Amino acid sequence: MFKKQNEETLIKDAETIIGPSIKIKGDFFGKGNIIVEGILEGSLKTSSGLYVGDKAKITAAIEAKDAKIGGEVKGNIKIKGYLEILATAKINGDVEALGISVAKGAFINGRLTMKTDEKESADLKKIN
Amino acid sequence: MHVYIYDSFLNKKRYEKVLARVETRITDLGLNGKISRMGLMKNITSTIANELKRGAKTIVAVGNDATVNQVINAMLSQKLGNMAIGAVPLGIIPIDKNKNSIARSLGISWEENACDVLSARRIKKLDIGTINNYCFLANARISNQATVLEISRKYTIEIIEPGEINIINLRTDERNLPEGFNVNPQDGLFELLINSHKAKRFLIALNGASANQSIFPLKKLTIINKKNQPVVIDNFAEVPTPATVNIIKQRIKIIVGKERSFI
Repeated sequence: MFKKQNEETLIKDAETIIGPSIKIKGDFFGKGNIIVEGILEGSLKTSSGLYVGDKAKITAAIEAKDAKIGGEVKGNIKIKGYLEILATAKINGDVEALGISVAKGAFINGRLTMKTDEKESADLKKIN
Repeated sequence: MHVYIYDSFLNKKRYEKVLARVETRITDLGLNGKISRMGLMKNITSTIANELKRGAKTIVAVGNDATVNQVINAMLSQKLGNMAIGAVPLGIIPIDKNKNSIARSLGISWEENACDVLSARRIKKLDIGTINNYCFLANARISNQATVLEISRKYTIEIIEPGEINIINLRTDERNLPEGFNVNPQDGLFELLINSHKAKRFLIALNGASANQSIFPLKKLTIINKKNQPVVIDNFAEVPTPATVNIIKQRIKIIVGKERSFI
């Protein structure tokens, strides 16, 4: 999936790391980047980036600024910026993002919605 | 006036020479003060209470991590709280390299060399962790078996595999954090580090396999252990569970060295 170097960069930038042997139940809110490799049930929200590893199992509504998803997600995903869905991802839920890329092999069962950037559209209106 | 609190283990004869060297260096640097030797009949809390009342300007813990923990608990005990905050800094003279990871992390050299750090009087305000009625400066740890962590009543953390839970305020060298991950003892947060491993301990030792790590920056958590295992604070005192851990931002002034583990 990710090269080791990329993983190290992710860890350095992360504020919270939920490892593979961790199970979280409840509403998890963070401000910094979050890496999820374990199990999470409830809701997950961060104002920064989110990386979901290929062995992670999330049963939760997700909100983040940007995200890379390689694991299993049951719940709606709302991303303000760019969402990268990796080949190992299994998503059961609606996905909303400003930009989305989906790798070959990814499983998505839900509605994909591409938002328009509100600032960008406001700027276009002004120009017109 | 400096007040030097000598831990009771220093009453042993084998520490006479090193203490003589420390005292000579203290005199050379003009840091003379009062020496209080702890023992069966002399308690740290009451000694520090009396010295603060008499107007001590610096309290110096002479001993190891356990001494530092006891002195901090005495300085920050409820009765003394307001008197100790902001006014009186804590100095440390570590005796015995093996049990002085706190001093090492604060950039304080050993034995008589620590007197130079004391003389430079580089003071930093550091966060203090509280667990039930106790304080800790560096860390608190508990086995993760049968342990559940409750975070601000919002979510719980369960650990599926065996390992250890560390609550870190000040990074001491034996706590293995991922490379590049910094712990700041002045930010009003502690790092919850959970190390767990699928492999047996001896296999990890043999193969150098890395443990699974999880990290959470937090302000408060509750530790519940179904087997009633205690939490060990600063590698010294045991606190029974259930226990609530909090952090108090920049609660104590400490004299630190240049080579400390934080900015």
